[in-house]
Amino acid sequence: MKEEKTKHSTFEKLTRLKLLYSKILDALELIPANAAYRKYTEQITNERLNMVKEETDLQKLEDKLQAGQLEEVILQAENELLLARKMLTWKPWEPLVEEPPANQWKWPL
Amino acid sequence: WRRPGAYCGLSWGRPERGRGVSRGQAGARATVKHWDEVTHKQLSAFGEYVAEILPKYVQQVQVSCFNELEICIHPDGIIPVLTFLKDHTNAQFKSLADLGAVDVPTRQNRFELVYNLLSLRFNTRIRVKTYADELTPVESAVSVHKAANWYEREIWDMFGVFFANHPDLRRILTDYGFEGHPFRKDFPLSGYIEVRYDDEVKRVVAEPVELAQEFRKFDLNSPWEAFPAFRQPPESPKLEAGDKKPEAK
Repeated sequence: MKEEKTKHSTFEKLTRLKLLYSKILDALELIPANAAYRKYTEQITNERLNMVKEETDLQKLEDKLQAGQLEEVILQAENELLLARKMLTWKPWEPLVEEPPANQWKWPL
Repeated sequence: WRRPGAYCGLSWGRPERGRGVSRGQAGARATVKHWDEVTHKQLSAFGEYVAEILPKYVQQVQVSCFNELEICIHPDGIIPVLTFLKDHTNAQFKSLADLGAVDVPTRQNRFELVYNLLSLRFNTRIRVKTYADELTPVESAVSVHKAANWYEREIWDMFGVFFANHPDLRRILTDYGFEGHPFRKDFPLSGYIEVRYDDEVKRVVAEPVELAQEFRKFDLNSPWEAFPAFRQPPESPKLEAGDKKPEAK
């Protein structure tokens, strides 16, 4: 039974998580629809968001998500949000920037 | 998975040893690890996943016979790929286990940078490889992984690969006034300078190295073929337009 010694209540953490996921989805909207990153990240985020919306009990939610404790899930969502924003500048879905020189990756020589 | 058109020199085969051991009695304690098909498939699937998300930088993906996933990328993509592998939910490779370089002088970009990452969440490892020149600077990974700091200093000191935007790029292992990059293949084993204490001037002096025995070069190539699995087809001379085909005798 989780004792309420933490400074934020479970409800506050869940709202923060939902907010982060909706921010991620907003950031992903700016990526072209055919980009693989957008497709997969939307899938992950929507799955997790649905799980968070359904389940209010902390322990059950952590078991369902299978991603460690709730605080860790929040940290991971923050990282994913930062990554989505950086991806907008890098645009990694474009075709290869430069082919390697011949025999660059040849091994053994 | 290979990018279409990309030359892939790696076609890792399965090791034949260890397959004769019967699984029942000694399989679990076999001296040599059994070929793990499941992990191999999972790693190739993940490699394809990464290549699908980052086609701008990923040039090649390979999984070795020891189940080690390697992503070969263009040097422009160091920061994007490392950040993606660190921050993405399906990757989470938060730990930079090692960063090293390999010198292959015959290549155009002679240095190969190797980043080894570990994911604690999923208990997997991945290797990211790039290439670098003696003169072209490469983006520093310190903004992504703090651990890269001293590793990049070591690579600068030992190989001469310059890292742009590194907070403090200076020598780390060589002596203060040392010239040269010792881990390069053209740097001799005994070096160029040796130091000794000179009693006349009462201090340490640096002099060109003097070996007691002259250098002996051994031919280490064995007369037998080294890698029968990696045979190259013999190159036939290509005909230019206008040349006549050489007459067959």
